[in-house]
Amino acid sequence: MSTAPVRRSGLQQDVIALYRNCFRAARLKPEANRPHFHAFIRMEFRKHSEVKQRDFATIEYLLRTGKRRLKVYSAPSIEDVTI
Amino acid sequence: MFRAIRPASALYRNAAVAATTAARTTPIRHSFALNFARSYASAGLNRADIEKRVLDILVGFNKVDDKKISLQANFNADLGLDSLDTVEVVMAIEEEFTIEIPDKDADEITSVAQAVEYISKRDDAH
Repeated sequence: MSTAPVRRSGLQQDVIALYRNCFRAARLKPEANRPHFHAFIRMEFRKHSEVKQRDFATIEYLLRTGKRRLKVYSAPSIEDVTI
Repeated sequence: MFRAIRPASALYRNAAVAATTAARTTPIRHSFALNFARSYASAGLNRADIEKRVLDILVGFNKVDDKKISLQANFNADLGLDSLDTVEVVMAIEEEFTIEIPDKDADEITSVAQAVEYISKRDDAH
């Protein structure tokens, strides 16, 4: 039931923050297309679920690319995505 | 000289008025606070309502087995949600109650009980 707060590494925290920011950005898209963005975000993150927790270099690289792509996809001109 | 006296006396009078109103408003402010609390409670955000809406969010989440949803459920241990799923649940809660949950607080919410507790503390939840 009540659990001790989960201790997460800084990197893990960063990934979660990026995931959250992606969903926040999706809120600014036309309502009808939001589920497409949600599915897209989930897919892009889950794609790399096999990356080992200790593989810092890969995770840092993916974080950087992820942040850059979030910026690109945040542009108001992008109104929909297809998977 | 007449000019100099007037503002001074006016100032004095204002100060006296301020002093008396300050003394008078203290109990008034108190009852105001009570009124506010009452109107907040009547806005319909009672605990049962919050609990129901949080549970409904989880029911709408297709990764979750409906039979496992309860008020005591932990997102990870009982519902099998990982950290990313939990982010989505908390985001859904934000939208449902039209609040913005800061990242720091969002990270702390890992169970239905904690979510209900958090929302009940937020006066701006709808």
